[in-house]
Amino acid sequence: MESFFWVGLTNVLDPMNLTAIAIGTIIGMFVGAMPGLSATMAIALLLPLTYSFKPETGLALLASLYLAAMYGGSIAAILLRTPGTPAAAATVMDGYPMAQKGKAGQALGLSLTASLIGGLLSSVILLTVAPLLGRVVLNFGPVEIFAVAVLGITIIGSLSQGSTILGLLSGAIGLLLATIGMDPTTGTPRFAFDNLELFGGIDFTVALIGLFSIPQAVRLVMKGNGKRDKGTVSRIADRMLPTGREFVKLLPNSIRSGFIGVFVGLIPGTGGDTASWFAYNEAKRFSRRKAEFGTGYPAGIVAPEAANNAVVGGALIPTIALGIPGSSSTAVLLGGLMVHGILPGPTLMSDYGDVTYTLLWAVLFANVALFLVGILFTRACVAVTKIPNRVVGPVIVVLSVIGAYAINNSVFDIGLMIAFGILGLVFDTFRIPTPPLVIGLILGPILDTTLQQSLLIGGGNWMVFLQNPISATLLAFALLSILQATPLFGSIVKAFRKKPPKGAEPAGGDMAGSRD
Amino acid sequence: MKRAFAATLVATTVLVSPVLAQDAKYEAASEINVMQGFKAGGGSDALAQLVQPYLARELGVNFVNQYIPGATGAIAWTRLAKQAPADGSTISITNTPMLQTNYIMNPSITYTIDEITPIANVVTDPGIAVVAADSPFQSFEDFVNAAKEKPSTVTVGNSGVGGDDYFTSLQFERQAGVQLQKVPFQGDGPSWTAAMGGKIDASFTNVGVTYPQIKEGNLRALAVFAEERLPELPDVPTAKELGYDLVAGSSRGYSGPGGLPDEARQQLIEGFQRVMENPDFQAAAKAQALNLDFVFGEDYRAMLKEQEGEFKELWSELQSEGQAQAQ
Repeated sequence: MESFFWVGLTNVLDPMNLTAIAIGTIIGMFVGAMPGLSATMAIALLLPLTYSFKPETGLALLASLYLAAMYGGSIAAILLRTPGTPAAAATVMDGYPMAQKGKAGQALGLSLTASLIGGLLSSVILLTVAPLLGRVVLNFGPVEIFAVAVLGITIIGSLSQGSTILGLLSGAIGLLLATIGMDPTTGTPRFAFDNLELFGGIDFTVALIGLFSIPQAVRLVMKGNGKRDKGTVSRIADRMLPTGREFVKLLPNSIRSGFIGVFVGLIPGTGGDTASWFAYNEAKRFSRRKAEFGTGYPAGIVAPEAANNAVVGGALIPTIALGIPGSSSTAVLLGGLMVHGILPGPTLMSDYGDVTYTLLWAVLFANVALFLVGILFTRACVAVTKIPNRVVGPVIVVLSVIGAYAINNSVFDIGLMIAFGILGLVFDTFRIPTPPLVIGLILGPILDTTLQQSLLIGGGNWMVFLQNPISATLLAFALLSILQATPLFGSIVKAFRKKPPKGAEPAGGDMAGSRD
Repeated sequence: MKRAFAATLVATTVLVSPVLAQDAKYEAASEINVMQGFKAGGGSDALAQLVQPYLARELGVNFVNQYIPGATGAIAWTRLAKQAPADGSTISITNTPMLQTNYIMNPSITYTIDEITPIANVVTDPGIAVVAADSPFQSFEDFVNAAKEKPSTVTVGNSGVGGDDYFTSLQFERQAGVQLQKVPFQGDGPSWTAAMGGKIDASFTNVGVTYPQIKEGNLRALAVFAEERLPELPDVPTAKELGYDLVAGSSRGYSGPGGLPDEARQQLIEGFQRVMENPDFQAAAKAQALNLDFVFGEDYRAMLKEQEGEFKELWSELQSEGQAQAQ
């Protein structure tokens, strides 16, 4: 084991492998930035090209691509209010408002720094304790995953503060839309209207592209080119990277979000899309300035970005420790191993340790490569804010149409994307928040499947959720989280604490509060 | 300069070699579109990436993969049966049992295997029953006895309603006269993982996906649903030996649209036959633990028809049972 650790490091320093990491990073960043093009898709398409490479070189390329796409998604989220990947949806919340204030460069710098911290944290965990953590995955069956999803649903409460009813409405619509498609346990089509295209349910990415990009394109076009004050145009010279002091401030938030990302990545079936919302929610919970979230607050960018990059390491843990893919991207990576005659399974760390440890080191190095490439690439991207609105708007629509089609090569999905775009416009008009809908769409299918599975396993007894220690604990947290989002909780806390709420949180609560 | 030119020439030749190296043996088209009913990177894609480079060389054609995921492959196969040009330019990877169970279970899916032209089956991943390493079930008999003692309590995972493992469970229930608590998962991975973690009592899944775990001792194999014992698992009995006529698995092959010209079909079949005999191909398949199971032309059609009959019978039986219980 020890020796593989160093063999892996030596392998990764091979110029071929370093080149592969650099190329993977560049492709990944580009793919992530384009709405509709996903890391999974790019890995699947590039896989045949890597057949002629040495296994470790091919894997280094694909793994760094996967990682870089996580950051790439935030570029479009921050600059265009259109998440490039589902995992970057939460970044829109604070990233876009910050860019609107003329600090696009700084927002991207925060995202890049947070990605680096989250990514490094998860790589170190991956390199050191992956075999131990791999077993943890086996503790998460349908009952436990259901509880995780319930906990996730409670985020709706905190995301819809100010308009709780509208937030809950939005979340409920999301959950309802998630029931479209074949029932996971009976195979009966629901709300599909005999349309084959709907049998598989609504593709979440298609919905997301429509929800975010179409309303944004309409907004830009309606706003026109004229009314642009100087403040909204980001100078490219805008300082990107945070100062030392700011860095120290955002560190606790990044690390907490990184751990959330590793954990969520570890659980099968949940990935960057879920982790970023969890991290955003926790950052808000721990912050003293809750009201500033959603207005371009640095912590609101740091949290989701640290979490979604940390997911990569988390998802790779069960993949390499046990041969169980933790996400769709790692599933395709496993396919890449098989092509080289390496059977994914528990022997990955022993029999094929040299290749595996090279892959793990490659993930670590890819984080650094991402940071370096990111600084150069991002500066160029900020130029987008200089393009007139009436040009950007239609370009977003074109990209969305291409993206929606590319996911399943389906014309139907273009229509679906536009339908969700109209829904997004309606939501905008009536000031209904969109994020709860997104969470409903992400978690709905997981809740649906695991609830039915759990009840089958438990023989129809609902107590199955409370008899299981992990799920009982998670559900208790969910209950707490719900209570915390109600006004009732605030008055209880006040009754217990004489101090004004300003000092009520621990001193480290405000994680990246610097606003220059 | 001369050297650079020569290098370019070599590079070009290498690139176009699939077309030039052999005499063109496929006359219907120079490019064959292969529709896949699943996403890139899945099991169908693994087959395509393995077989098509060899087949391209044998036939002197290029293959273009089209991924048309949705409705467990039904969108691609509906297109194959109803819309694809029957001129040999378009074929599809056909996966059983979804190819048949799709339309047996859902009246709104309207294609049938009579509207397609089976060309060749390539791989079959046999079914297997696995339990966690620390499971009380030491043998398949233990499992059957437990299921007999307490009907509807022994939880058995499968890869999803309409998949091979689901229908294997139904067949087993009928033959053994037991009632299992069937738990569908989203694919084989979550199903055997749940068994390994002790979340369910057993999982009916496939050999190819679980073999590394069985070899490492994380999962215990109780029985394989194959005609004969598998060479890689010589100690695991077949269900047949134990008195259950259960031979099941998931197969992947190639089919064309209905009315595919006979010459085109014959040329494709001959291409597959030459690929089958290629030792390089055999080694590549072995490295990926793919269980080759070539069945050609009308034999492939017969295989699909026979399965269709079985699934139809099981499904209608289940439906009428459901109605009887409801009354």
